[in-house]
Amino acid sequence: MVKSKATLAIGIAAGALILAACSGGSSDGGSASGDSSTSSSAAPSGDGQPGGTLTILSPAEQILSLDPQVVYTGEDLAFLGATIQRSLTAYQVAPGDAEGTTLVPDMATDTGTASNGGKTWSFTLRDGIKWENGNPVTCEDVAYGVSRQFDIGLTEGGPVYAVSYLDIPTDADGNSEYKGPADGTGQELFDAAVVCDGNTITFNLNQPVPDFNYAVTLGFSAVPADMAAGVEYGDKPMSNGPYKIQEYAKGKGGKLVLVRNENWSPDSDPYRKALPDSWVVNFGIEESVADQRVIQSSGEDEYAMVQGLTTASLPIVFEDPQYESRRIDAFDPYSIYAAVNVEKIPDEKCRQAIGVALDREALLLNAGGTYAGEFADGVVKPNIGIDYAPTGLWDGLLGQPVPGTGDPEFAKKLLSEGKDCPTEITLDYAQSEDSDKAAAIWVESLARAGITVKPNPIERGQYYGVVFENGNEIMTGGWGPDWPNASTVLPPLFVQGWNLSRVDDKAFAEKVSAASVELDRDTQATMWHELSKEAAQKMWVVPTRFGRDQRLAGTKVGPIFSWSAYGSYPYPIMYAVQ
Amino acid sequence: MTATVDEATTAPEEIKGRSLTQIAWGRLRRDKTFIASAIVLLIILLVALFAPLITSWLGLDPYATDKTAISTSGGKPNGPWGGASLEHPLGVEWGTGRDILARLLYGLRISLLIAFAATTLVVILGTLFGIISGYARGFTDAAIGRFMDLILAFPFLLIVLALSGAMTQRLTAMGIPEGNASRITYLILVLGIFGWPYLARIVRGEVLSLREREFVEAAIAMGASTPRILFREILPNLWAPILVYATLLLPVYIATEAVLSFLGVGVLPPEPSFGAMLSESVQFFQLVPSYLFIPGTLLVIVVVAFNLAGDSVRDALDPKAAK
Repeated sequence: MVKSKATLAIGIAAGALILAACSGGSSDGGSASGDSSTSSSAAPSGDGQPGGTLTILSPAEQILSLDPQVVYTGEDLAFLGATIQRSLTAYQVAPGDAEGTTLVPDMATDTGTASNGGKTWSFTLRDGIKWENGNPVTCEDVAYGVSRQFDIGLTEGGPVYAVSYLDIPTDADGNSEYKGPADGTGQELFDAAVVCDGNTITFNLNQPVPDFNYAVTLGFSAVPADMAAGVEYGDKPMSNGPYKIQEYAKGKGGKLVLVRNENWSPDSDPYRKALPDSWVVNFGIEESVADQRVIQSSGEDEYAMVQGLTTASLPIVFEDPQYESRRIDAFDPYSIYAAVNVEKIPDEKCRQAIGVALDREALLLNAGGTYAGEFADGVVKPNIGIDYAPTGLWDGLLGQPVPGTGDPEFAKKLLSEGKDCPTEITLDYAQSEDSDKAAAIWVESLARAGITVKPNPIERGQYYGVVFENGNEIMTGGWGPDWPNASTVLPPLFVQGWNLSRVDDKAFAEKVSAASVELDRDTQATMWHELSKEAAQKMWVVPTRFGRDQRLAGTKVGPIFSWSAYGSYPYPIMYAVQ
Repeated sequence: MTATVDEATTAPEEIKGRSLTQIAWGRLRRDKTFIASAIVLLIILLVALFAPLITSWLGLDPYATDKTAISTSGGKPNGPWGGASLEHPLGVEWGTGRDILARLLYGLRISLLIAFAATTLVVILGTLFGIISGYARGFTDAAIGRFMDLILAFPFLLIVLALSGAMTQRLTAMGIPEGNASRITYLILVLGIFGWPYLARIVRGEVLSLREREFVEAAIAMGASTPRILFREILPNLWAPILVYATLLLPVYIATEAVLSFLGVGVLPPEPSFGAMLSESVQFFQLVPSYLFIPGTLLVIVVVAFNLAGDSVRDALDPKAAK
C-alpha cells in the first residue's frame, strides 16, 4: 500500500495516493530488529464499554476516497474497514507483528478455500449480513464490487489485484478485455472468472496465487449490484459495517460523522467490536494544533486522537512519562527510499555511486533520528516476517562496507568505473519544510563525490502524478506491503505497479513471476531474499529508512497499540472510556 | 547681500545660494534618526556583502550539517536557545544542525539582492513610463494609464504563486541557469513588473505640473528635442520623489521576499532565506522560540532602518519643511 502519513498529508487534493514528503531516511546494514511493535500497550483499563464518540483530528481536507475499490492507504483501509466496509477476510486486531497480521474471516465464514493448485479460490458468505438500507449483502454484490476494479476511470489509484489475477484474457496491449460493469464489454468473461453459487463466490485465477485470500482484503469489498455506482460512490458509499455515514463535509472545518448502522448485527460480524456510538473525523486541523489538543486532552479532546505527530511534538510526548499510556512508537509498514530512474541512469555503477555518496545518517536525523526509524538495507522491511533477510547492502554487497554518512571516495571510484555517469542529477520530492532540508542534505552529500544535485520540489498533492508522468533522475518515495508477503513489495516496485524506477529487467521479472506462484512458503521466502538482494545491489532504489510512526491519543481512548497490518490504530476494537 | 571685502572676511558666515541637494544633505547631517539608521544600514549592507568572508572567519558554514549539535532522537538541538554555543552563536537548525547565524547572513544577502534589484527595476520602469505618460498627453498618456490600471488590477500574490513554475521554466529556456538563478530572476521580475505603476503614477503627477513651468516652455521655445526636455530638463526635478519612493520600497520588498519564500516560491534548498526560516520556526515555536525571534528581529531591524532613513530623506528633500 502507498504511504500516506497523516501528519504529512496536508496537501492531499486528489489523484495519486500519497507518500507525503518522504525524502528523509538513511540506512545501514541489516540492523533493523525483528520486533517492531514496541509500543506501550498499557491502555486504559478494561476491554471497554459501548458508547461515546471517538474523534480523529486530521490535517487532511478529506479522506481521499470512500470508494471500497479506490481506498489504498493503510490508515484509510484500517479505519473504513473497521466502520463501513466489510471485506471477505481481514487481519486479526492484536498487538505484535505476527498476531496483528494473522488473517481471519470477516464476511466469509473462513479464510477461503483454494483448489486446482491455488488457481481457484472460493469463499462462503455469512448469513445475515445487511446493507444499511436493510437489503442483504449477496454474493452478486461482492462480484459487482470486484468488477468495478476493471473500470479504470473509476478506480484510478486503487488496488488492482482482481485485474492482475482473475482469469480474463488480455488484449495485445496487456489491457483486460473486460472493461468494467458500466461499459459492459466482456461481461461474459468476468462472469466466467467470478462465479456465484448461492452464498459461495468462486474466483478463477490466471495463475496459482497462494495468498489470494490476503489479496481480497484490498478492493474486493461489496457494492450493491443494483446501484450502478459511479465516481460519486466515493463520496457516498453504502455501508455494510457497524456504522453509516451521517454527514460528510470536506475541506477545512469539515467532518465525517459515522453513526450506528441499525441493520448491522453482531451475530453476522464476530470481527468488529463496534463499541463507540459514533466516530467523527475532523478535517483540515493544523497539525501542531491537533497535537496540542491531544496533548492537553481536556474536555472533548479526551476522546480525540491524531494519526501522527509533528517533529516538534515528539520531545514533549516522549520525554514525559505521563503520556506513556497513550502514545505509540512503533515501526510502520513502510520502507522509505529514493527511486533511481533507470531510463536516465542505466549504468549500475553510476546508480551505486549515488547511494554510496549519500549521507543517510543525516537524512535519518533530519527525519527525526530514532523516532524516524532505522537505516534500511532494502525495500523489504523486517516486520514483514519471514520474507525479510538482511541484504548486506551497506555491509559489503557493493564491494566494501559503506558507513551511514556515505563514502565519497568509494563513490568517486564507482563513478570512474561506470559508463557515462551523469554529474548533474535532479531530485524530485514532495515539498515540505522537512523535505526541503532533506534535499539540502542530498545536495551537500553528493557534492562530496562530485555529483551536482538540483532539487525539484513538487506540490504534495500532485507529487506522484508528476513523477510517474515525468520523473527525473531521483524520486523519493515510500512503500509498504499490502499483506505480509514480499510479492506485494518487489513486483509492484520493480516490475509493474508502482515502478518509479522504470525498471525493465526481463530476467528479474521472470524470477519474480516464479517466486510469486511458488506454493511452498519457505522456498518462496528464500526466493524473495535473493531477489531483494539483487534489487538492492542493482540500486534501483536507494533504501534510506525503515520508517517508524508516532501517535498520541486522548486520555479516554483505548486500547492504544499499533496494529501491524496497517501501522494504524486498532480501529475495530477501539472504545471510548465511559 | 553686497558687502565690502573687509566685512566679508570677518563675517561669521556668508549667506550663499544653496542647491536643493546641499540643503537636504545639511538637514540629513543634523538628523540623528537618519545618522543612526544609516549606520545600521551600512553595517547590515557590509555584513551581507561580506557574508562569506565573515562566516569563514568565524568558522561557520551555512550548508554543513552538524550531527553533534543535535540529539539522535528527534533531531532536537542540544541545549537551550536552539543549541547556542561558542561554536554556533545563535544555535543550530532542528534536524540538520546547520548554523543559524551563517544561514541568517546568507539569507540576508539573497533578500537584499532581490530587494535592491527589484527596486532598481521599479525605478527605471516607473520613471520612464511616468515621464512619457505625463509629458505626452492624449492617446499615449491614456494607453499607458490604462495599462497601469490593468497591472494594478491583477491579484499580485495569486499571479506570483500560479506563474512561478511555468515562468521559471521559461526563464531557464531563455538561457538563465536553472535553479536559483532563474527563481531569483523570476522574483525580481515579478516584483518589478507589478511594482512600477505605483511609482509611474507619482512621476506622472509631478511631470504634469512641471511641464507647464517656464523653464520647460523656454526649452521648447529654444527648440530642444523631446528626449532632451524629458531627461535633461524634467528628470532632475523628479529625483526627490523617486529617491523617497525607492527608500520606502526597499523594506517592503525585503518583507515581500520573505513572504514569498514563506509561501514556497523563494530560493531552493540548500540556500537559506528569511521566509523559509520563519516558516519553519512556526512548528518549533514552543520549544525553540529563538528560531522565530532571530530572523524576525533582524527582519524588523532592516525594515525599520530603511523606513526611518526613507522618512528622513523625504523630510530633508521637502521644500516646505521648516528647517
